[in-house]
Amino acid sequence: MATLTEPHAPTHVARPTYGEITRDVAATLGHPGRSYYVLLGIVLFVLACGIGALLYQIKLGLGVAGYQPPVMWAVYITDFVFWVGIAHCGTLISAILYLFRSAWRTAVYRTAEAMTVFAVMTAGLFPVVHLGRLWYAYWLFPYPNQRQLWPNFKSPLLWDVFAVSTYFTVSTLFLIVGLVPDVASIRDRAAGWRQKLYRITSLGWRGTDVQWRHYTRAYLYLAALATPLVLSVHSVVSWDFAMSIVPGWHTTIFAPYFVAGAIYSGCAMVVTLLVPLRSVFKLERYIHEEHFDNLGKVILLTGTIVGYAYFVEYFIAWYSGSSFEREAFWFRAFGSYWWATWTMIICNAFLSQLLWFPKIRRSIPSMFVISLFVNLGMWFERFVIIVVSLSHEFEPFAMDHYTPRWVDWTITAGSFAWFFMWFLLFAKNFPTVSLTEVKEIIPMPRKGAARS
Amino acid sequence: MSDGLDRRRFLKVLGVTGTGAAALAGCSSEPVERLIPYLVPIEDQVPGVSTWYASTCRECPAGCGLHVRVREGRAVKVEGNPGHPINHGRLCSRAQASLQGLYNPDRIPGPMVRNASGQFEPIKWDDAIARITSQLGKVQGSRVWFLTGHETGTFAGLIQQFLAGFGSSNRIAYEPFGYEALRQATRDVFGVDALPIYDFGAARYVISFGADFLETWLSPVEQSLGFTRGHAFADGKMGRFVHVEPRLSMTGMSADEWVAPVAGSEGAVALAMAHVIVRDRLARSSGDTGVLRALLNTHAPADVAARSGVPAETIERLAREFASQGPSLAVAGGVGAQHGNAQLTAAAAHILNYVTGNVGRTVSFDAQATLPGGGYSDLRRLVQAAAGGQVEVLFVHGANPAYATPPGLGAAEAIAKVSFKVSFSRFWDETTTAADLVLPDHDPLEQWNDSQPRAGAYLLQQPVMQPVFDTRQTADVLLGVAQQAGGRAARDLTAESYQDYLKAAWRRIQGSVGDARPFDVFWMECLQQGGAWRETRRRTVSLAGSAARVADRPWTAPEGRFALLAYPSPVFSDGRGANRPWLQELPDPVTKITWSSWVEIHPDTAQRLGIAEGDLVEVTSEAGAITVPAYLYPGIRPDVVAVPLGQGHTAFGRYAKDVGANAYRLLAAEPTPFGGVGHYAAVALRNTGAHERIAKTEGNPRQMGRGIAQATVFAEAASGKIEKHEEAHAAEVPEKIQRLLDEVQQEQYRDWRTRGSYALATAHWGMAIDLSRCTGCSACVTACYAENNLPTVGKEMVRRGREMSWMRIERYFEGGHDTPLEARFLPMLCQQCGNAPCEPVCPVFAAYHTADGLNGQVYNRCVGTRYCGNNCPYKVRYFNWYDASEPGAATFAWPEPLHLLLNPDVTVRSKGVMEKCTFCVQRIRGKQHEARMRGSPLKDGEIQTACQQTCPSEAIVFGDLNDPASQVSKLAQDQRGYAVLEGLNTRPSVTYLQKIRNVVEA
Repeated sequence: MATLTEPHAPTHVARPTYGEITRDVAATLGHPGRSYYVLLGIVLFVLACGIGALLYQIKLGLGVAGYQPPVMWAVYITDFVFWVGIAHCGTLISAILYLFRSAWRTAVYRTAEAMTVFAVMTAGLFPVVHLGRLWYAYWLFPYPNQRQLWPNFKSPLLWDVFAVSTYFTVSTLFLIVGLVPDVASIRDRAAGWRQKLYRITSLGWRGTDVQWRHYTRAYLYLAALATPLVLSVHSVVSWDFAMSIVPGWHTTIFAPYFVAGAIYSGCAMVVTLLVPLRSVFKLERYIHEEHFDNLGKVILLTGTIVGYAYFVEYFIAWYSGSSFEREAFWFRAFGSYWWATWTMIICNAFLSQLLWFPKIRRSIPSMFVISLFVNLGMWFERFVIIVVSLSHEFEPFAMDHYTPRWVDWTITAGSFAWFFMWFLLFAKNFPTVSLTEVKEIIPMPRKGAARS
Repeated sequence: MSDGLDRRRFLKVLGVTGTGAAALAGCSSEPVERLIPYLVPIEDQVPGVSTWYASTCRECPAGCGLHVRVREGRAVKVEGNPGHPINHGRLCSRAQASLQGLYNPDRIPGPMVRNASGQFEPIKWDDAIARITSQLGKVQGSRVWFLTGHETGTFAGLIQQFLAGFGSSNRIAYEPFGYEALRQATRDVFGVDALPIYDFGAARYVISFGADFLETWLSPVEQSLGFTRGHAFADGKMGRFVHVEPRLSMTGMSADEWVAPVAGSEGAVALAMAHVIVRDRLARSSGDTGVLRALLNTHAPADVAARSGVPAETIERLAREFASQGPSLAVAGGVGAQHGNAQLTAAAAHILNYVTGNVGRTVSFDAQATLPGGGYSDLRRLVQAAAGGQVEVLFVHGANPAYATPPGLGAAEAIAKVSFKVSFSRFWDETTTAADLVLPDHDPLEQWNDSQPRAGAYLLQQPVMQPVFDTRQTADVLLGVAQQAGGRAARDLTAESYQDYLKAAWRRIQGSVGDARPFDVFWMECLQQGGAWRETRRRTVSLAGSAARVADRPWTAPEGRFALLAYPSPVFSDGRGANRPWLQELPDPVTKITWSSWVEIHPDTAQRLGIAEGDLVEVTSEAGAITVPAYLYPGIRPDVVAVPLGQGHTAFGRYAKDVGANAYRLLAAEPTPFGGVGHYAAVALRNTGAHERIAKTEGNPRQMGRGIAQATVFAEAASGKIEKHEEAHAAEVPEKIQRLLDEVQQEQYRDWRTRGSYALATAHWGMAIDLSRCTGCSACVTACYAENNLPTVGKEMVRRGREMSWMRIERYFEGGHDTPLEARFLPMLCQQCGNAPCEPVCPVFAAYHTADGLNGQVYNRCVGTRYCGNNCPYKVRYFNWYDASEPGAATFAWPEPLHLLLNPDVTVRSKGVMEKCTFCVQRIRGKQHEARMRGSPLKDGEIQTACQQTCPSEAIVFGDLNDPASQVSKLAQDQRGYAVLEGLNTRPSVTYLQKIRNVVEA
């Protein structure tokens, strides 16, 4: 890798050796302690509640959720966009930073990639959960059928189907490919069913020179393939809104605005995940302030873009001269949902500005707190865009106010549980820090001291 | 069938295959479809083909003619009878909902008797008749009473004969909204016992003193039609309408000017107008006005201004307008103004008409008064007799005194003392639940009957289908009792059945209409056209001496109290419609509230009292108290509050019970000077501190300057320079782009037309809605529910905005602070956009464009993404949040036998599916098929949508926009025409014609 010596390399932690790395990381696969199982138990319980709520909703109909026409999309689509957004950071860190040769990514990219896959898996549930007749969800796929019916390729929802499924495929591939050498190295330490699992997932990796050559080349290509997806997926998701005529949705700024927001929220979610992961699995030696500092910078940059986008939205609403736009944005800020809008603006546009201070960026507790607020703010951003715009559209007589009900909340909570369940299972069974890549950036052990 | 497959075998195979299909269908999530076996076909019934029967609506005494559509032996829709002299093919909401009376799940299924333990148990009809006979044999004739609703036909005569047969003459007819005041006033002013007939169509200037003539008063459908024909803008001319009432009623919302006098002073305002007309000799009176001098002298505008709060200049101006812009018409004393001084109000309108010379022109008098007199004083007589133990047998038919009377009367308690009470009600209403013997009558659609709402109009009812339940027509029961009892009753009533009795009566009617043909020919013709009618000579009247003695007894609420108006709900009338879910879910035309009662309070008053919308307010009068949520209504005087009547039932079935509060509780039992119930009371308001979310369909009552419901003033319309709302300018698409869009669309049409069945489609269906005709009555909404199988969702779901009305009447307010308050109605339905935002966003092509310009919706294909709903700027797409179509589910909208009214031509949508107005595509296709079968093209106006067909004011026109000669094409080109949200370039197929207000420039 490019730099073996990093200017801000931590000094208070002794450099691990190759052996220590393997041992430390593989330790996460051992007995993780009681807190892990308690956490998993809670997550499974919440997931069960979410599934129960979903079954109840399927049985009785979408009416059990809070929908209040004209707000026909609400918390479920908010959740969908939120989770798709979360999914962005993984690819950014693993692919784009890989292409830019940023060494600091090595310690965090596995977490980010796993998060990506699980977030897409979570996001993908919601377009189905929100369907009136979810048992016909497969009609959205262009499959050959006797009736010769074809989906409508003009509909942004169909673009979504392709964008999200492509993204899921590529990010899963990326994760699996990245895992191969690592899994191979823990395969040799594992026993029982795990060994079988690793044997399969390591795809016969032996670490030969030829394998390494092919592997790095493949990884590079995948990174190149995944990079445009970072931009495309959330652009397509944003077009669900931008292609409509709803005031507050129909705007050209949406694609870049959504992408920035997605990376913003994704990085925040990485921070949210890394902090407990680091302490639960005792990975302080691999994930340290440096990483948070860098993530903080990304969050600061994207947060500033997001804040700028908010400003531009209001400016355009005023500049357009359209009374519908103006009133929609006035309603956003000062209407019955003012609290949601201001939560979003304060959490996203203002709180992220604290990250100008290196002290805050390098303080893990403060990063953790800020990341939680960013997650909250970004969830509200989608809520504001979706719910608040819909509740104040063209036809005054049809305006109404939506409030989520317990089914919305339970299914939302269930989606978090679903995400965390996968993440916890992954962390327990696969190396959450890349063994090979971390090894790549530490100085080559030679006789005597390292050269630098 | 030469290959050995004979008919029998063919049917067998068909049967087996059908069963197999049904069994398979049982495994899927779709509801099971049941086939109708017609192995032995019924003569004159072809499956899939409708039969139409003419009959008469009995939901109110007006007597509108019906055409009932019957499919496979069940009535599925009622329409107006186009050839009928009263409603001319139009119907109101209540008539549309009469089917829900027929199929109401809470109808009493058969005869019931109260047993020793006080519970009802079924009884056989013969036993029931025997019980009545034995009871009647035991008591004196004078102790037998018969209470009915308003009956004007043969049945009334039968009851008289029946009672006479047992030595009784105690027949009472009680109608809560009687016309006692009007009748008394007519007697006072003109000395005749008759009711006036108003010719709204001929009047160019109408002034109403509280009369809700578009809602419940007299004959609302007929009056709506007449009023709009006389008033609406056409050919550069229009009428003018001024409404004088402390509360802006639905009728008042159609007015060009609203004058809000102090409650109870409407009559004085009318007299002051008459004073000005006589004083200034503004008009040629219908006769000598000398006797009026004393009365008019005490009503000089200046004096009346002080009393009524209406400035003297306004009175003078109205008087001059009224006299000069004739032919004019003053109507008054409707149930909206039934206070202690109502008799004067009605008399004042008569006088005003008289001094302006309208009597004989727009006001005429019927040869006899057939509309209900009310009979409240008769009812009081009955109650007193019952309380004193003087009544031993009481028959009740078509009246519900336990509900629809002020509680102070003690009707329920008194009736409880009667030892043998027989109710003929179809429903478990408040009176029936206290009866001893319950003998449910047929529904009006199941029975033979007739009525005579006015002289010369003999209207016939015929059964349109087999009875739904084990009911029996009351007239037949009475005939049975008479024959079993023997004696005089049996001698008088010899008819085998009521049908025979009725026919005998119609032989006499044939004579009176001067028809000399054989009776059978006459009878068949009457059945076909719904009755017989002839022009009658109207009575000429002149001022009676008693006119001078008309007393003005000012009614005012005491200091510190509010004047309460208990007004008849335009949808429930006196409460008899409250058990129809369509009517419960129909938003009140004024407040847009469903499934509840409310008290209307002026926003300023509410602010003063610290009351917010939805706060539960205790309304207390001397007679009683009710607690209802507050609705802040700018269309009411600050010193007046209003509560609609018709809700608050304690029985009457699942849809009516415990909904809202009964405003009769606030009314005094003491009769007013004219003999009826006073619908005004002095009340105090108290905020209980509790709150509920009002179940209303209104979002924002102000249109935020978006030009949704546009209006202009008459002066501008007449000059031909109509200013469109600025939103229209935004629609100006650059010519180049417009040409491109047109090309794309034309190409699409060409494409469609060359393929398959679309090759035949050359029409572009469109609609024109004239807002200067729409009165907001909402009949179209109920008609749409009936035609298109729209489910009702209930109060909680309306609160959550999930009502399914494909057609909704939006009601916007304009002004109210510095300028006069103005209400505008806008019927909003799918605009069938040419460039529809809903279509491209559907991922599965459930929303698509038909070649004839409709926004189609394939329910079967819809997966429920609701994207179309979000993208529809008009918000006319409705989603099935729950399963309304699943029998047995809690959300099932048509509990048995209500499901029998479902239109077999329209799919019942299941949960998770988006639905919307399709311009009644089933009717379009039906008529297209008919035209193809007969081999001639469709004629303009042949296809009528359900909303258009029922509209009492002819506001809706439907047709082919591609045909330049069609009425709708011409209207679409009208200078008043505009499209809602035109700037979005959705290119709607619905053109709205601006409302025109005939205002006086200040």
